[in-house]
Order: sequence, then C-alpha cells, then structure tokens
Amino acid sequence: MELHWHWLVVIYLFLGGLGAGAYITSFLAEKGFLGKAPSLTRAGYFIATPAVAIGTLMLVFDLGQGFWKPWLMIGLLSNFTSVMSWGVYILSAFILAGFLKCYFAFKNKKAPELLTWAGAFLALCTAAYTGFLISVIKAIPFWNSNIIPVLFVVSALSTGLSATSLLAPLLEKGTYHEGRANQLHLLLVVVEIIVAASFIMVMLNGSNGPIGTESAKLLISGKYQIVFWGLFIVLGLVLPAFIYLQQILSQIKKTGDIPQNITANDVGSAVLAEAAASSKIYGAHSPLMIIGDTGVIIGGFALRMLIVFAALPVWDGFSIY
Amino acid sequence: MFKKFDSRISRRDALKLGVLVTAALGMGLPLSLLTKSAVAQDLGTEQLAFLFDQKKCIGCKLCESACRSANQEARDEQVKWRRVLDNGGDEGEGHFLSISCNHCADPACLTVCPVTAYTKRQDGIVVHNAEKCVGCGYCMYACPYHAPQLSKKTKRVTKCHFCYSRQDQGQQPACVEACPKKALTYGKLSELKKAPGGVATLKGLPSPTITNPSWVIIPKE
Repeated sequence: MELHWHWLVVIYLFLGGLGAGAYITSFLAEKGFLGKAPSLTRAGYFIATPAVAIGTLMLVFDLGQGFWKPWLMIGLLSNFTSVMSWGVYILSAFILAGFLKCYFAFKNKKAPELLTWAGAFLALCTAAYTGFLISVIKAIPFWNSNIIPVLFVVSALSTGLSATSLLAPLLEKGTYHEGRANQLHLLLVVVEIIVAASFIMVMLNGSNGPIGTESAKLLISGKYQIVFWGLFIVLGLVLPAFIYLQQILSQIKKTGDIPQNITANDVGSAVLAEAAASSKIYGAHSPLMIIGDTGVIIGGFALRMLIVFAALPVWDGFSIY
Repeated sequence: MFKKFDSRISRRDALKLGVLVTAALGMGLPLSLLTKSAVAQDLGTEQLAFLFDQKKCIGCKLCESACRSANQEARDEQVKWRRVLDNGGDEGEGHFLSISCNHCADPACLTVCPVTAYTKRQDGIVVHNAEKCVGCGYCMYACPYHAPQLSKKTKRVTKCHFCYSRQDQGQQPACVEACPKKALTYGKLSELKKAPGGVATLKGLPSPTITNPSWVIIPKE
C-alpha cells in the first residue's frame, strides 16, 4: 500500500523544528544563558516565524484539499484526540507570538515579558509536536517510540542555533560575540549522537518488532545508508562536534579560561582573524564554523527525511502467509 | 363586555398556544432525534463485525466486485474497499484473505483524524465523511489494515462503511450477500467470537492490540 507523505512533510517537520530552535536560541541569548552573546539576541526571532509559517504552508499544500477548499481548514481544530489538531493550535499560536516578538526585536524595543516567555514555551511545544505527530502512530513501528520527540527536540534546538549563528553576523553590526554558544552547541550535538544511537539500537534489537528493525536497516545498511552515514552522522553530527570542540579549545588556549565574552579575533585560527579584519562593519563567522553550522542544518534535514522515508507499515497490506 | 371577555380569552388562548408550540418544539426536536436514532438502533447497540472463514473461501473475488458495484465511492481505480489477498500457494495449498475495514473498537483513524471526519455508530460501524476530509493522509498511516485509502481523483480518503445504508434498510452488506460459499458473513461480534477456531489475527498480520479490530477469522490450518 502506498503511503503518501513525502518531501513537503519532510520540509514541514524540518522547518518547524528549525524555527522553534531559532526562537529558543535568541531567547536564551536574551536571557543571558549563552554568556555575553549580544549578536544572537535578535537573529533567531527573525528566523522563527517565517520558517514555521513556510513549513505550515507546505503542509497546507500537501493536504489533498488544502489549496482548493481552504474553508475545510477550520475543521482541523475539531478533534482533541488528534495530535495533528494540537499541532494546528500550537503552530498558529507560535506563529502569532513569534511574529509579535519579531516586531519588537526589529524595532529594538523591549517586548512584554509574558510574550517572550509564551513564545519560548510555544517554541518548545512546536519542536516537541513535530515528534509527537509521528510517535503516536502505532502502525508504524519505526515512529512509535518515545525517543522520536526527544531526538526531534534536540535536533530542533541544534538546527535553530546553527541557523541563528549563520544569520547573526550578516545582520548585526560591530564585533561578533560567540559567548557560550559553542559550548551549548557541542553539548546539543553530543546529546543528539547519544539519542540517535539509542534510537537505532532500540530499533535494531527488535524492541519495536521486526518491521522496526527493517526500517533501521534501511538507514544503516540499506537504501538510505549514504544519507544516514554521510549527511546525518558525519556531516551533521561528528564533523560539527569536532569543529565546536576545536573552537572551545582554542578559546580556552587564548584566554586561559572558558570565555564569557570574546571577540572574533580571539576565536580560532589566523584565517578567522583575517576574515574579521576584512569585515569591519559586520561581524565575522569563522569559515570552519560556517561549515559546522551548515553541516548541522543539512544533518537536521537528513534526519527528518530518513524518519519519514524509512517508515514501513507494520503490515504491507498485501502479504499473507 | 362580551367583546372584552372574548378578546381576553383569545389572548389567553394565544398565550396558551404559544406555550404549547414552544413546548412542542422543545420536546419535539429531541423526540424526533430519539425516534431517528431508534431506527438506527434497530440493528442493536452491539459492535457489528465480519467473520471470514478461510476454509470456505475459494478466492473468486465476488465480494470485491459486489463492493464496487454497490458503492459509488469504491469505484475509483486506486481504491479497493474490500481486497481478496492470496498467499501465492498452488492449488489446494493456497489460501485467501478477504479484508476491508475492521470497524475497530479503538479505531486509530478516528483518533488521529484532525477534522473529525470519522464517527463510530452505536452498532460500531466506523463511517468516514468525505465532505469533511482534507486528505492529510494521517489516518492512512494510523490504520494497520490499510482500510482508509486516498482517491487520486477526489484527493480525499475513502473507506468501507459496512454498507450501513443497506443495513439500515434491512439488507446485508453487498460483499456478504455476494459470497457464494458463505465464507464471508457478518453479525454481532460477541456472537461471532463463539465460532470454533476463530481468531483476531493471522501470521504476518498486525497485532490486534493496536486497534482492537472487530473481525473474526477462521484460519485454514
């Protein structure tokens, strides 16, 4: 039997996570959890709403009727047992809160605390929702695991942090401050490696039945092995982990301590110092960091693609024995 | 005086009439609803189910074609409300399974559908309302039996409804009526469960714990 969730749903799950993670990045920076990182306090808010809104639009296009009979969309709010209905409430609220927060950030005005916190809460809900949407489906063993929402939330935070770090230097004038972002990012990537490994192990050892094992094998040795090992594991997790580690180590080397506030000139290699010198008006982002952050984003996309495409139904609908 | 009296009476009558009409409307609406549901209840409030006897099935697929001719919505090319599957075995060794929607006790389609297109009747029949369907395909992932299917023509999901309108008129479901070997029958689940050798799943089929399906299979071996 043909199941019909394809690229649009992959993009939707990916952008939902990335937008939510971007909001949380700027929220953490604004609240001072990332050390002194003034460059990250706004960029995430600018990413959040457009990313989630475009993702939601993808979903509307994917609905057989979404484009032709938009009035049917109202019905999406009607089933309180459906995780998809929860999602419509969560996404609508987050898009609205994110938009308002984005306006305040754009105008460099102080937003009401309630709005800022509500946005952060809704961002977390959005990230978790993309996981719950599929983890409640018992008929797809590869999805029906509590590890999925955890994996999706960690990946959401990581891709959101990367997107924010990539945009920030283009946006914020003055010196680029990394603060503790590298440490948080290393932590996220390491946690994601552990969670992803546990997920694959659980599936492989047959805890979710033989079909779950079959799905996991599609990733590690089957049809999707290049995407899994190449894009998700190496480019998306291992390489960024080494880059963030290298950045932290060189920060410590320069300052003799874990840095709270450092300029681009302190970070990394001579190449970076050169890059920073060449862009006096805007901040700089080390080429190595650009590779790491881009890798994380590609890896996050690959993860959503793998999870959606390797979803085998518990029964194919044809075979009897 | 007489005129005044008359008008008083008529005013009182008018009031009475008003009260009566209101009361009649107030009572009548729920009453008419009650009588309507009473008609639907004729089949009982107990879960209905299909019984498939694998020993009797000869794989003629008359149930499939009867389903198609009885139901306009099931005539889409990609859609097959009732499917007859075979294990590819040689004559004598081969066996079949005629499957449609199992009108589960815990229907996963109904739980996940964001637009409440699914309803479960008192007799347990799970009905899908295509008018509400947005074609998101969530139910197709949720149903372990692949009962909800997407019509490429209408871009909406469509599914077996146990021929409930035929049943409401006292007829049998089209597939059951068409079966020449009486391999496919239907009735109250509690009764069908008493069939000797009856089970809720076969080797390779989904575990009945997922949705608690309302069907009974009598396996060949």
